[in-house]
Amino acid sequence: MYLTAMSSAENPTEKTLAELRVRTPESVTSLFAELREKANKEQRRIEKAEQFEQFRVKWVGRKSGILTQVTDNWLKPADAGLKRIVGQALNEFRNHLQSLVEQARQDLDARATQVADTRERVDLSLPGVIRPIGSHHLIRQVFQEIEDIFFSIGFSVVEGPEIETPYYNFEALNIPEFHPVRDDMDTFYIDLPKGAPVPLLLRTHTSPMQIRTMEKQKPPVRVIVPGKVYRRDNPDATHSFMFHQVEGLAVDTDITFCDFTGTIEYFVKQFFGPSVKTRFRPSYFPFTEPSVEFDASCSFCGGTGTAAAGGTCSKCKGAAWIELFGAGMVDPAVYGFVNYDAKKVSGFAFGIGIDRLAMLKYGIDDIQVFFQNDVRFLRQFP
Amino acid sequence: MKVVYNWLKEFVAVSATPQELASRLALSGTNIGGIENGPHGAVIDAEVSSNRPDCLGHYGIAREVGAIYKLPLKHVSPKPPESAARAVDAVRVEIQAPELCGRFTARVIRGVKIQPSPKWLKDRLEASGVASISNIVDVSNYVMLELGHALHAFDYDKVRDHKIVVRNAKPGEKIRTLDGVERQFAPHKERQLAPDKDRQLDSSICMICDGDGSRAVGIGGIMGGTETEISFSTKNVLIECAWFEPIAIRRATRFLKLHTEASTRFGRDADPEMAELASRRCAELILQLAGGELLSGVVDIFPGKRAPKKIRVTRAEILRVMGADVPDKEIEAGLGALGFAPVRIDQNRGAAGSLLAAWECTQPSWRAEVEREIDLIEEIARIYGLDKFPPRLPAARQGAARLPQFESETRLRERLIGLGYLEILTIPHVAEERDALFRPEGVVPARLSNPLSEEASVLRSTGIVTMAAALEWNLNHGQRNARLFEIGRHYRLQGFESVEARVLTIGATGEAREKGLYDSAREYSFADLKGDLDAIGELTGGFNWKHDGAHWLSPARAAHLSIPENSRDALALGVAGQLSKRIADKLKLRQEIFLAELDLDLLYSSYYRVKQTRRYKPLPRFPAVERDFSLVFKDSGVTFRQIAGAIYHLNIPEIESIQAMDLYRGKNLPPGTFSLMIRVTLQSREGTLTESRIAEISAKLLEPLKYTWGAELRAS
Repeated sequence: MYLTAMSSAENPTEKTLAELRVRTPESVTSLFAELREKANKEQRRIEKAEQFEQFRVKWVGRKSGILTQVTDNWLKPADAGLKRIVGQALNEFRNHLQSLVEQARQDLDARATQVADTRERVDLSLPGVIRPIGSHHLIRQVFQEIEDIFFSIGFSVVEGPEIETPYYNFEALNIPEFHPVRDDMDTFYIDLPKGAPVPLLLRTHTSPMQIRTMEKQKPPVRVIVPGKVYRRDNPDATHSFMFHQVEGLAVDTDITFCDFTGTIEYFVKQFFGPSVKTRFRPSYFPFTEPSVEFDASCSFCGGTGTAAAGGTCSKCKGAAWIELFGAGMVDPAVYGFVNYDAKKVSGFAFGIGIDRLAMLKYGIDDIQVFFQNDVRFLRQFP
Repeated sequence: MKVVYNWLKEFVAVSATPQELASRLALSGTNIGGIENGPHGAVIDAEVSSNRPDCLGHYGIAREVGAIYKLPLKHVSPKPPESAARAVDAVRVEIQAPELCGRFTARVIRGVKIQPSPKWLKDRLEASGVASISNIVDVSNYVMLELGHALHAFDYDKVRDHKIVVRNAKPGEKIRTLDGVERQFAPHKERQLAPDKDRQLDSSICMICDGDGSRAVGIGGIMGGTETEISFSTKNVLIECAWFEPIAIRRATRFLKLHTEASTRFGRDADPEMAELASRRCAELILQLAGGELLSGVVDIFPGKRAPKKIRVTRAEILRVMGADVPDKEIEAGLGALGFAPVRIDQNRGAAGSLLAAWECTQPSWRAEVEREIDLIEEIARIYGLDKFPPRLPAARQGAARLPQFESETRLRERLIGLGYLEILTIPHVAEERDALFRPEGVVPARLSNPLSEEASVLRSTGIVTMAAALEWNLNHGQRNARLFEIGRHYRLQGFESVEARVLTIGATGEAREKGLYDSAREYSFADLKGDLDAIGELTGGFNWKHDGAHWLSPARAAHLSIPENSRDALALGVAGQLSKRIADKLKLRQEIFLAELDLDLLYSSYYRVKQTRRYKPLPRFPAVERDFSLVFKDSGVTFRQIAGAIYHLNIPEIESIQAMDLYRGKNLPPGTFSLMIRVTLQSREGTLTESRIAEISAKLLEPLKYTWGAELRAS
C-alpha cells in the first residue's frame, strides 16, 4: 500500500539508471547513499510487529521489494561501464538491509520480552506453596546437641530403664535408706502384687545407669545417659514430676579432678558459647566426692548481673552466675558396689537437667509448655 | 540457716563485707540462698547441705570462715557460777533405749524468773526467723542457733519424781506436743509410703518420759510435750541437752510427718560432745537473763560415746584424685582450722612438698561424716579453692559408640518430620480410666502406689493414651490441625517385673492440607495415615496391612501392621486407624482422629536387616511404557492387592509395576459395580517394546481379571 501510494517520480528504483541519467560512478554511489539513508530512517521508526513486517516486505521482499527493483532496474540494464560499480554497491546495500532487518527484529523481541517481564513479574511478598514440615521437640534437640558434644570427646551413649529398683537408684549410689538426700528426691513407687521380691520405683535420676554400666564393663568407661527421670514434686512453672537428664560417667586409671573440670568446661563452652565463664562450687552428693555444683556466667547479662535495659538481670537474679548442674568425682564407695578397685581407678560423674538448660537457653519461663505439646509451641523450634 | 553477720563476728574477727563473705562461703561449700539487709544488719541465708550438721549454728559457720580467711576461732567456754547443791541429787536420768539416745545431760536451775527476753535477744531471734516466747525458751533457741545443738527446757516441778526415763515408744501411745497436736502412734493403720520394709516405726521413736516412765513428756530429738512445758509460773528449770541417733530421728520424722529445728539437727548426726557444752552455755545465759541458782555439776548419761577416729591422707592420693598439688602449709592450715589436727607421719617429715608426704588426722566429734582419705581430700580442696586445679581435657582412649538404634531412629525421625509430623514429649502418668480406654486386653499396667493425683496414677500402657491427650489439648486450644508423633516408651507389668517397650505413636487430625493460594483444603484421612506409614515402611522393606486393629479403633478403618519376616511369617508391628466414635465421643473429640502405634524394636531391627540386603538395581536402558486399563468389577470384596497379585502371578517379565489410578462408584455404572483404573508400567531390559508385544501383554494381563472376577474393560 505504501509502495503503490508512492508516485513513480518519488521512487527512482522503478526507473533505469539511464532514465535517471546517472552516468558516472560518483552519481551511482550517491544514489545508493540516498537509498540507504531512507532505509535507515524508516527502520528507526519501527515500533510494532506490523511495522517491522511492512519494512521487511518493502525493502527486501522477494517479489517487489526495493532490493529486487534495484537488481532488476539498475543492475541488469546497466551499461557495461557502470555494471561493476553498481553490482558492488548493490552487494553492500543488500548486506546493510539485512543487518537493518535483523537489528529491528532483535529490538522488537527485546521490547516484547521486557513488556512481558514487567507484566508477569511475581509478587515476592506472596507465599509459595507451603508443604508443612514437622519438627524435633525442643528437648530432643537439646539432647542431640549435648550428645554430639560429648560424643565428639569420646563418650558413648547408653540408655536404661526408667522403672528401677531401690538398689540401683539409691543403695549402690551410696544412698542407704533414710539417708537425708532421699528427702530431696521424693520417689514414685510402683504398686506391685503382694509377695514381690524387690520393690520398683521410677528413677529419680539417670545415675542408676552409672552402676549398670560399670557392672557390665571394666574401665575405661566413658558414657552419657540421656533419659526421663521422675520426682514426686507438685507441678508448677519450674517443677514437673517428669523431666529429663543427661548423666555422664568417666572412669579410668588416670582421671583426675582437673580432667573432670576440663571436660565440663569444654561442654559448657560448646553449648553456650566460648565467652561463657565457668566456676565450680563445692557441694554434697552421696555418690560423688569431691562434689561440686557447677555454675556458668549468666549468658543473658554477660555475667554482669545487670539487664541490658538496666535493673537486675531476671535470669540470674543479679547473681551474674547461673547454677547449671551437680557433679563430682565418683565416690570410692560406689566402686565397691561394682567390683572396681577404688585404689586403682578414679572418675567423675555429672547429671545435667535438660529441661532447665533448654529453658535458660531459649528463654522459656514455664516447664509445663514442654509437655503440653501445643502445636504453636512445637512449630517455634523447627 | 540464717547467719546473722554480727553474731558470726562474735566467734571470728572477719573483716570482709557480708557480700564478699557470702561469695567465699559459696566457693568453699556453703551454698548461699541470698543476703538480706534487715534492721539487725546483714543476714546471710546459708543452704547447708545435709552432711554438715555442724554448720547449723553460727559457731560452725564461724569455723568455716576461720578456715577460709585463716583467722582463729574464738572458743566457747562458759563457766556459769554453781551452787553447793548438786544436780545429781536433784534429778535422775535413765536411758532404756541407748540405741536411740546416745547421750542425755540434765542441769537444774532453781528460782528463775520467767519474763520476756531483753531486746538484743529478741532481735537476734527475729533476724533468725524465730519467734520470741519467754526468756527461758528463747535462750534454748538462742543456744541452738549459736552452737547448732538443740536443747529442751522442762518445768522441773512438773517432771514427776524428778526423774527422766528415755525409752522406745509404745504402740497406741499418746502425747500432746508443744505445737498443740495430740499425737497417737498407731502405725499399723498408717499407709506405708515406701513399701520396702515392714517397719516397726512405733518402737523406733524415742520417748522422753517422767516418773516411772509411763508418761511421755516429749518425743526425743523432735518436740517436747505440753505436760512439762515452761510457763510464766515456772520456778525451777530442767535443761535437757541430749544426742539422738540420726537414722531413728529421720524415720520418726518421716513417719510422724513432723520436721522441727531439733529433728533437722539430730537427723543429720549432731555432735554428741556438744551436748554438755550447749547445756552449760544455756545455763549461763539463763542465769544472766532469768536469775536463779544453778545446781553444781551435770547429770550426764553417755552410752554412745565415740572414740575419735584416726584418718590418713597422703600427697600421692591427693595427686591421684585431684590431678594437681596443694602446698604442705595449705593442707595443714586448712585441715587444722577445720579441727582435724593434721600431723606429718611420713619418713620425709622435713621435706616440704615431698611426694611421700602423709598426715594423720583426728576426726573431730562434729564431723562424723569425715571418715576416709577421700573425705579429707575434699576438705583440703574446697578450702584451698577448686579454681586452683587447672582444667584440662583428657585424651580419649576408646572410640565412642552411638545408641544401637541411632541410625534407624534418625532415619525414622527424618521421614516423619519430612512428612509433616511434629515431635511431642509427654509425661507418662495418666488416669486409670484413660489408660483402660486404650489398654490392650490382658495387659497389666504399672500403677503407682503413691501417685500425686488420680489423674496421674498409672504409667501409660500404650503411647496412644498420651497421644490422644495431646490432640485433645490442641483441639481445646483452637488448634484443629495437628500431625504429631512421639518416640517413647510404654510401661507394663509382667508378674513382679516391669516391661518398658520402645514405641512410635502417631496422631493426626484436621486438615492434611490447609487452604492456600494454590491449593484447596483437604481433610486428613485414613489414606494419609496409610501413605505416611508406608513411607516409613520403605525403611524396612514394606509393611503388611490386615483388617482389625484394636478395640478403640473404628472397625471400618482399623488395621494391624506387620513386617514380613520370611516367606511365611510376619511379625506383629502395631496398629493404625481411626479412633472409634464411642471413644471420640467420650473424650469429646469432635473431629476425626487417626492414631497408630508401632513397636520400635522390631522396626529398628528390620531396618538393619533390610539394609544389609539392599543392593543397587541397574537403571533400565530402554524406555518404559505405561498403559491404563479402566476396569469394571462387581462388588464381591475383591481388593486391589488381589487384582495386582493376579497380574504379577502371570510372571510377565516386562511388568514393572501396577498402580491404582482411580476408583469410582456411582453414576454411569451399573449398581453393585465399581470401576478401577490401573496403570501398568512395562519395561524391558532387552530392548524397546514393540507395539505388538505391548498389545500381546495387554490382552494377556486382562485374562485372569476377566476369568476370576468377571472384570470388563470400561468403554472410554
